[in-house]
Amino acid sequence: MLLYVVLFFIFLLGPILIVVAISFTETEYVAFPPKGFSLRWYERFFEYDAFVDSFIVSVELAFATAVLGVGLGVPAALAVTRGNVPFANSIMTFLLSPLSMPLIVMGFALLFYLSALGLGVSFLSLLIAHTVISLPYVVRTVAGVYRGISPDFEESAAVLGANRFQIFWNVTLPMIKPGIFAGMLFAMLISIDNLPISFFFGSADTNTLPVVMLSYLEHQFDPSIAAASCIQLIVAVIGLFIVERIYGLDAMTPAS
Amino acid sequence: MAKNRVKSGGFTGAVSPWWIALTGLFLVVFFVLPIVNNLLNTNDLATLAKQRPMSFYYHKLFFDPYYIRIVFDTVALSVGVTVICIIIGYPVAMFLVRHSGRWSGLVIFLLIAPLLTSIIMRTFGWRVLFARRGLVNDFLLWADILDKPFMFLNSASSAVVGLVHVLVPFMVLSIASVLRSIDLQLEESARILGASRIKTFLRVTFPLSLDGIGTGFIIVFLLANGSFVTLLLLGGGDLKTLPLLIYQQFTISRDFQFAAAMSNVLLAIAVGCLYLQLRLIRRKGVKGAA
Repeated sequence: MLLYVVLFFIFLLGPILIVVAISFTETEYVAFPPKGFSLRWYERFFEYDAFVDSFIVSVELAFATAVLGVGLGVPAALAVTRGNVPFANSIMTFLLSPLSMPLIVMGFALLFYLSALGLGVSFLSLLIAHTVISLPYVVRTVAGVYRGISPDFEESAAVLGANRFQIFWNVTLPMIKPGIFAGMLFAMLISIDNLPISFFFGSADTNTLPVVMLSYLEHQFDPSIAAASCIQLIVAVIGLFIVERIYGLDAMTPAS
Repeated sequence: MAKNRVKSGGFTGAVSPWWIALTGLFLVVFFVLPIVNNLLNTNDLATLAKQRPMSFYYHKLFFDPYYIRIVFDTVALSVGVTVICIIIGYPVAMFLVRHSGRWSGLVIFLLIAPLLTSIIMRTFGWRVLFARRGLVNDFLLWADILDKPFMFLNSASSAVVGLVHVLVPFMVLSIASVLRSIDLQLEESARILGASRIKTFLRVTFPLSLDGIGTGFIIVFLLANGSFVTLLLLGGGDLKTLPLLIYQQFTISRDFQFAAAMSNVLLAIAVGCLYLQLRLIRRKGVKGAA
C-alpha cells in the first residue's frame, strides 16, 4: 500500500515539479529535462509588461478580496454560529451556497448584471465577484474555529457586565484570530488563482495574471509560463508560511 | 463541539445577529440576483443583440444532436472523473487515516500543496508530459505498450487525467474525514467474530464511509462540471463540454444569448446534483462539519 501511495504522490506532484524544472531551462523552447540552468525566463517575466501589470492587479485584488471577505464574512459567521438565530442551518447553507455554483456561470452572470448596474468591467466589479466566491471559505473557516471554542469565555464576560462590543473585541476576536487569518489566506488563494471569473472582467487595467497567462499559453508555448507559475507559487507559499509561523497549521483546520 | 447547555438569559453571542443581514444582502444583490437575471435574460447587453427568442436556443440545446451530445458529455465527463477519483483516492484516504501515523501531517500537506499552484501550472505540466516526445509517450514506447507515440493531447484522455489530477485531493480529504470518525472497535468486533479483512472492509468500513464518498462525489462533480481551462488546454478539441462551449461562444462567436442559455443548462445540472445531495446524504447542519 505504501508503494501505491508513493506512486500516487508522484502522480500528484510530478507535473508541478516538472514545471518548476522547466522554468530554469536555458533553451528557447520548452524542454524537459531542462537543458542548462538559467534565470532568463524569470527575467523575461519581469520584462513582459502584461505579466507584471497583471501580477500587480492579482495581488491587489487578492488583498482587497481578503479584506472585504473577512469584513463581510466574520460577523455573519459568528452570528450564525452562536447568535440564537432562527433557521441557522438554512442561513449557513445560504452563506455557503456560492461554493456550489459553476464559476463560469457566476462570471458570465455577474458580468452582464454588473454591466446593467453600470459597473461594467472594472476593478470594483472584479472585487465584488471575487468576494462573492471567497466569502463561503471565510465563513466556513471562521465558523469552524468559533465552534471549537467554548462559549464559557464570552458568557463569563457577559455575566461580568461587558457589553457586546467589549465581548467581541476583547474575548472573541483574539480567540478566533487563527480562523480569520486562515480565512483571509483562503480568500487570497482563491482570488489569485481564479480564472473563470476573472476572465470575464478582462481588460487592459483589470487583467489578472491567470487571464494573461491563459491567453499567452494559447498563442505561445514557451518557458515563461513556467516561470510565471513558479512566481505565483512562491507568493502562495510565502503567504502560507507566514500564517503557519504565526499560528501553526493546526489552528487553521476547523474543529469538527 | 458545542455543548448542550441552557443559554444564560438574553445572551445571544458576541455579535449582533443583524450582521447576517448585511452579508446576506450582499449575497442576494451580488449572487442571487445575477443568477436570476441570467435565468430570465432581462438585462440590456443581451437585449441589444437580441435577435431571437431564448426558446430558440433552448430548443437547439435540447434537440440538436450535436448539442445533446455536448450536454451528455459534460455530465458523463464529470461522473467519470468523479468515479476515477473515488477509486484512486479511497486507498490514499485509508492510508492517511489508518497507516500514516506520524506522517499524517506530511501527507495532508502533500495533498494540499498542489492546490496552492495555479491550474495553469498543472495543466502546463501535463501538456509537457503528454507531448509527442513527452515522458508519458517515452515510457509507453519503452515499455512496449505502444508502437508509436499516441497523440494524447488530441484525445479526451489527457483532459480526464488533468481533471483527476486537480480534483483527487478533494476526494481524498472528504473520504478521510469520514473514515477518521469510524470507531475502530466496530472493525475489531467484526474481526473477532471471524470476518476476514476483506469482509470486514466490505461489510463494516466501506458502508460507514459512504457519507465521505458522497460528499466527495458532490464536490468533485461540481468542480469537474464547471471546469473549462483543463479542457481548453488538454482536450485538444476532441471533447466538448458546456463550460468550454460557453467560453468559446463568449470569445469567438460572441453569441451571448446562446452562452446564457448554455450557462443556465449548466446551472441546472449543478442544481440537480445539489438536490441529489440533499436527498441522499444526511447533512449534519451547522453543528457538524459543513
